[in-house]
Amino acid sequence: MDALRVTSDPTTIAQARVESLVLEYQTKLARYVRRMVGDAEVALDLTQDVFLSAFRMLQADPGRELSAGWLYRAATNAAISFLRRKKILRVLPLDREIDRTTWRVDERSTASLDLQSALKRLPAEQSAALLLTSYAGYSSSEAAAILGTTSDAIRQRVCRAMRVLRATMKEDTDR
Amino acid sequence: MSTPADCGAAERLAGAIALDEACDVEREVYRNHLARCPQCVSQLGGERDIERVMASVARARDEERWEPDLRPSLARNRSARPRWSAIAAIAAAAMVILVVRVVEKPASTAPQPAVTAQETRSLAALGTQTAPHREGRAESLAVEPAAFSATVELNVNARGTPVRCAVAKSSGNAVLDRSMCRTAMHAHYALQPPR
Repeated sequence: MDALRVTSDPTTIAQARVESLVLEYQTKLARYVRRMVGDAEVALDLTQDVFLSAFRMLQADPGRELSAGWLYRAATNAAISFLRRKKILRVLPLDREIDRTTWRVDERSTASLDLQSALKRLPAEQSAALLLTSYAGYSSSEAAAILGTTSDAIRQRVCRAMRVLRATMKEDTDR
Repeated sequence: MSTPADCGAAERLAGAIALDEACDVEREVYRNHLARCPQCVSQLGGERDIERVMASVARARDEERWEPDLRPSLARNRSARPRWSAIAAIAAAAMVILVVRVVEKPASTAPQPAVTAQETRSLAALGTQTAPHREGRAESLAVEPAAFSATVELNVNARGTPVRCAVAKSSGNAVLDRSMCRTAMHAHYALQPPR
């Protein structure tokens, strides 16, 4: 009887479900957010907020389905809000020197820095499209569902993001 | 000659190629567009260029070594309910000032409530008391209105229940301080989350 009572407690159910979501998605989601915002600490905070939102939602409605897409949508919105709030898109310098302080030595490969440098130049929606597809592994239609747009729009955003990334890589080669 | 509409479509095709979602026909359409649009050649590049750029993204993803662990912080926050924790922190920082006034009550013929042994001990500890009244009230307090004030710091949890009380500024009387904390701890606090 006690066991039944425990398992029917919304908080316990929410905790268990969020725990499994955290175990499965925390790394992917935090990495995705870190690429979006360019800062590990901020990424951790935002990712934590996403899981806490999930927890509160499941606590209120333990039967609700929570997909990875929901987590990515919440994470994207949180990252975009953060970027808008801090006006980072306008304020951050476009050179890559800042990466040297926020990314560890073992993460400073050319590919990693080029990507981050390009992401900083991109509007958040384009960064999200590029990262959701090429980084998180979603198709354009899945990414479209997450971002609330069409797959054509996602393809176009990916193309524009790719153009900036290509220019960044070219600058790197020319240097 | 390409039209801007063609270039827009070419962008979407380039995106599809980048995501490996383009079929052979679409790839052929893209190639044909590039053949007559030097601007798109320089901006978007051919299929190989696209693949090279996307391979770079894949490399960056594969080289990622960062392994965040959110569980400890989540466990901490879950118990404190994150949204409320900020409020609780503010509440903890805020000083709750309680002022206790002991005033003379008008003489009444109605029987005074009997005081408990604990209250008697508390009153006995007050330096101003001379002798307990018949009904248990301190005579000196009954004669002369007195005001005491103390400042207590109260920690309130997410549910609005006080969890800790500390005297920040004493009234000068330890019994009164403790009584104030007891009173504060018995109350319930409704905290409004930030909108």
